[in-house]
Amino acid sequence: MAGRGKLIAVIGDEDTVTGFLLGGIGELNKNRKPNFLVVEKDTSITEIEETFKSFLARNDIAIILINQFIAEMIRHAIDAHMESIPAVLEIPSKEHPYDASKDSILRRAKGMFCAEDFR
Amino acid sequence: MGVSEGEESHLLLDEKLLCFMKQLELLEEKRNTLNSLIEQGWFSISKARYSMGNKQVSALQFANKMEPLVSVHVRTLENAKVEFCTERSSQKCSDESTKDPTSVEDIGPLEEGIRRRKTTKSGDKEKRETGGTGSEKAPEVNPVEKRDHNPQQDPLNWFGILVPQSLKQAQSSFKQVIELSAEIAALQILVLIKQRNYLFQRCGPFVQCSDD
Repeated sequence: MAGRGKLIAVIGDEDTVTGFLLGGIGELNKNRKPNFLVVEKDTSITEIEETFKSFLARNDIAIILINQFIAEMIRHAIDAHMESIPAVLEIPSKEHPYDASKDSILRRAKGMFCAEDFR
Repeated sequence: MGVSEGEESHLLLDEKLLCFMKQLELLEEKRNTLNSLIEQGWFSISKARYSMGNKQVSALQFANKMEPLVSVHVRTLENAKVEFCTERSSQKCSDESTKDPTSVEDIGPLEEGIRRRKTTKSGDKEKRETGGTGSEKAPEVNPVEKRDHNPQQDPLNWFGILVPQSLKQAQSSFKQVIELSAEIAALQILVLIKQRNYLFQRCGPFVQCSDD
């Protein structure tokens, strides 16, 4: 069994989440709380943000994967997260290719060359 | 002629900057691989959906009991570096399924019981011995709770027993993505640490960068 290791959580569109669950990361814990969120057209930003924050608060999650277009919706929450664990990884989605200039981590790294951007 | 103190610190800064750039380049490389693997996975899912039917590969098929087959072991090294190691438990899962053939199929009632049949010859004997009281009882059932459904099954089975090859391909693509994402997560942290070290070296702990 996967045992004492931590989990990978995913917030994304249906195909992204289906793919990662096929890969074997899915979990429903004792309180039937999943470690994934399928974002559909009618999913509100508040729900996404709350789920993201609940993943940050859980200490059994090591990595949070999030589609970049969803990350854009809750950018303030992602930028506010400065801890190294859980690590937040932005991934592309079917309709929105990955844009490195929007990535939180790469923007922070870029800040090294521009004093104003550096936080 | 010896190297002056200023030159030495500049050399050290350059070295740190080069190291940072190298990590950034590696991160970009891995990112590109990750993105192409994810695309490959989506393509395979779409192909599977085409052959199985539009609604056969969706969130509706997710199991109501799930246990992770992958776990991440986090190790904090010196200088706040973090290492993520993925561990897959599929080996044990497959061993269990080969040992216990009942785990393959979950067809049948939730309660399994042994029913005592009415037999003529033995029943007659009992009648004679007990004086006819035992035969009037209804057949006894000893309910035994069926073993819990194994939640650690292969997620492929959520979508059916005979799934197309493309869905298996999607699964293997996403398995690679999971491993790569752990590497990228560690690399991201390393990049930020290198950046912090460089800035610390260049500006000092309390000097603002804008002063340069």
